[in-house]
Amino acid sequence: MAGGGGEAGACAVSPPPLRGLQLVQQGAEARLYRGQFLGRAAVVKLRFPKRYRHPALEERLSRRRTAQEARSLLRCRRAGISAPVVYFVDYVSNCIYLEDIVESTTVRDYITSIQQSGKDTSNLFLLAEKIGEVLARMHDEDLIHGDLTTSNMLLRPPGEELDLVLIDFGLSFMSGLPEDKGVDLYVLEKAFLSTHPNTDTLFEALLKKYSTTSKKSSLVIKKLDEVRLRGRKRSMVG
Amino acid sequence: ETLALGRRLPADKPIAPQAAWGRHDGAPCRCWKGCRDPASRGGSWGPLSGAGGALEHCRATSAQTRLQPPAAWSSGVFWGLAILYWFKANSLFRYKMQHFTHQLELFPDCSVTLVLFNDVKNSVALRKKAMEGSIEGALINPAMIVDPFQILVATNKAVHLHRIGKMKTRTLNAEIIFNLSPNNNISDALKKFGISDNDSAVLIVLIEDKEKTVNLESIISQVEGHQVSLAELHKITDIAKVKKMYRLTPQEEKIGTLLDGIICRMSTKDIA
Repeated sequence: MAGGGGEAGACAVSPPPLRGLQLVQQGAEARLYRGQFLGRAAVVKLRFPKRYRHPALEERLSRRRTAQEARSLLRCRRAGISAPVVYFVDYVSNCIYLEDIVESTTVRDYITSIQQSGKDTSNLFLLAEKIGEVLARMHDEDLIHGDLTTSNMLLRPPGEELDLVLIDFGLSFMSGLPEDKGVDLYVLEKAFLSTHPNTDTLFEALLKKYSTTSKKSSLVIKKLDEVRLRGRKRSMVG
Repeated sequence: ETLALGRRLPADKPIAPQAAWGRHDGAPCRCWKGCRDPASRGGSWGPLSGAGGALEHCRATSAQTRLQPPAAWSSGVFWGLAILYWFKANSLFRYKMQHFTHQLELFPDCSVTLVLFNDVKNSVALRKKAMEGSIEGALINPAMIVDPFQILVATNKAVHLHRIGKMKTRTLNAEIIFNLSPNNNISDALKKFGISDNDSAVLIVLIEDKEKTVNLESIISQVEGHQVSLAELHKITDIAKVKKMYRLTPQEEKIGTLLDGIICRMSTKDIA
């Protein structure tokens, strides 16, 4: 979910009536709430209606994204990748009620805190390898996350155990193409290197572990190199 | 000779230790109870009792003023009351646990009650009543249930679909049973998750909202079995059967509990 509030069209949707409800984050696409649902800590992702869109498109798009997210979460779990459990999907208001991973930290915060405190960074290499391994398993299932950033990866408490949980599958889709997997990794690379300076070696370790774990990695890495060459002020060959 | 203060010193009387009269040495009584006896106050006049001074005075009278141990009968009363409260609390606790009730957050006027029965003898008759619709609750086979949360999730979805008129089955009770299933086959779900003729345990789910209240007593009287607390559910669950029904993958078992896998399948089966 892209950060920053940009509520371009005012929305009149009331928050879900859960106990202990609090707004966690307001993104461009959806709002995230935390509360108690059926006796458990839950997170509600509410895709509010955007008035700047045409109503027919709006309804279809929101419903498709919600369904896609729920489906990807199930596929992830079936493949053995840690993702929040889906408790309930409301297709009328396009809300997903998910498991709340209490007291988790994002990988982004974890890396920043380790770098700032100047503690031992060997754990960071282990973390990078863990991420590479999880992504390899996900891509082997032909599941593309679509929005891979370090803020979309959580660590269950205690953070040192590197129990990784992937979240925010709103832009995910199924694809077997190495191109799509390469783009997925490229998105992560860009987000990783811009959020955490001086972490080139970390990302290299991540890619190395990815190529050793994944079965179809050689094509994907080749595509990744090609994608890197695209864009502004880059070679237009290949 | 009278003294300036007008007191007489009985100088020629024999001074027995207890009968000695004189001025106290001025030290306050060191007894624990904050003696208010004027004779023990320092500097006062009164019967002297040797070097001990004020404390000795207290010791002499302490037999009456010292803290008495409680009477012999009072401990009996204390324990009797304690046992009485323990029983009461236990039975209240048992009452609360016997039928588990939860108010649905998304539908605040709706509350769900779960009642569990063991050693049920009339499951054939109950099943027939359920098929006819003459029982006001959903009759579920508790061997397939691992946690009340599983029922709450199914019920929440059923009530939601009922309110928007998009149920897949014909009644709310059938919808609850259908939602427990990991697949979209209604008759299969009713067969596997509803009660069958030779079941010895039954779990009844009752839904109450502002239009319909449920008579718990009448439901209990229709079942020939004993009502047990939901804490006994784990003894009735058949884990092997549950695993076979929900088909959890071995990788899935590493990242979460059996309940996690079940809930995920239940809630996403219509779009996956």
